[in-house]
Amino acid sequence: MTHTLHRQGSVEDLHEDYVLLIRTSRFVNHEGSEKTMQQIWEVISHYEQDLVNFGNHNPNWDGGELYDMEALKKAKSRIIHVVFKDRERIKACLKEIKERDFGISTVVSGLCGETEKICAEIGIAPHTVNYSLGIHGRTERLPKGETLEIHTMCGHAMVAYNLIGHMVKEIRRGKMTCMAAAKKLSRMCDCGIFNTYRAEKLLRKMTTEHSE
Amino acid sequence: MLIDKEKCIGCDECHPYCPVGAIAAMEWEGRSVSEIDQVGCVECGCCYKRSGVCPVDAIYMPKLEWPRSIREPFSNPHIKHPSTTGQGRGTEEMKTNDVTGRFPFGVAGVAVEMGRPGVGTSFRDLQTVAMAIARLGVEFEPNNPLAELMVDQKTGKFNEAVLNERVLSAIIELKIPVGKLKEVLAVIKEVSAKIDTVFSLDLISRVHPDGITPALAIAKEAGFSPRPNTKTNVGLGRPLFKEA
Repeated sequence: MTHTLHRQGSVEDLHEDYVLLIRTSRFVNHEGSEKTMQQIWEVISHYEQDLVNFGNHNPNWDGGELYDMEALKKAKSRIIHVVFKDRERIKACLKEIKERDFGISTVVSGLCGETEKICAEIGIAPHTVNYSLGIHGRTERLPKGETLEIHTMCGHAMVAYNLIGHMVKEIRRGKMTCMAAAKKLSRMCDCGIFNTYRAEKLLRKMTTEHSE
Repeated sequence: MLIDKEKCIGCDECHPYCPVGAIAAMEWEGRSVSEIDQVGCVECGCCYKRSGVCPVDAIYMPKLEWPRSIREPFSNPHIKHPSTTGQGRGTEEMKTNDVTGRFPFGVAGVAVEMGRPGVGTSFRDLQTVAMAIARLGVEFEPNNPLAELMVDQKTGKFNEAVLNERVLSAIIELKIPVGKLKEVLAVIKEVSAKIDTVFSLDLISRVHPDGITPALAIAKEAGFSPRPNTKTNVGLGRPLFKEA
């Protein structure tokens, strides 16, 4: 899965969009990792007020409740996803994870230059990079602008283009606030990588500046 | 996915939730109900439990028979692939490269994420791209769920039975010597004009001690413009894979 890559948007917007992904390898260190992953959630909980979103791609999710931190601290997690909007806060979280030396692979999705700087500032040497070389083929089939930006925040494509358009209409009709619409969209992405904060801002832009 | 027309009240609430726009209204026994186009539906479950949108529980998942059954695990990230017993479209790829050593120095990873973002793909288009790349004598990732559907890894040919199946996305994953990257990227660029969908393209590279990733320069030479955002494995996994 490369679901945290290919997020669209301007560099300015992406300054508010960092995903921390922590996962075990089923080939190397998954066995016996349950307690370690719970300890990592414990560290992440120190930053709960800074988090835009979080989740663990729970296969038992049944369309019920969204995640809560206390439950995750006791859950069996194979993957941890956390979204920050502030590079200083993800840096602080990453630094603490590094210092605790949990030994679980950790990936930062975000602006490349900023990620490199964050790593340098806390004494980490990046190991491997996955670059996005863009979208190709029948690109005329894609929506433009903010709709594509919001959609690509869920790399599994669970946030349908039409649903984003539907939310825009609901906001314009006064039936929903931008934040409520962003949360409703976010609910479709149960990995917890959808940046609700950015989505709200984009929905506001779509409903105040444009006329469709 | 199917909609029980007896139960459906024709509210149309489910329509916008479909990522591929496969739900529409129709007339049935003198009233309007919703119907899911079975050709377009990729079995992602967005209209079903994921959204829980139907107020009368008219949407349901029937037992999917082969080859339609392959749609669900490629389109719904909750569902495990029978062949890999993993969820999602791909593999651990570079996320755990610090402990697996899958992409060492001198090797580039390439992933063609067919159908992404949000358009979906047929297996016929997947085959078109896989066969074009296979002509270069590359090695497809054996742990990717596409592997069991490919009847010939050397030609990139898929099982004939699945060619008309549609999924939200599937990833053609390969790893190649960095020296072969330019050639592979040229073929990918060429074949992009021969398919009826989109793909997002990934390039994976180990970071050298001086901070350089040689594969990136090659991609730029090949005419690709990397986006400013990346995924970076910061090397905190243990035991760290020791490269020879």
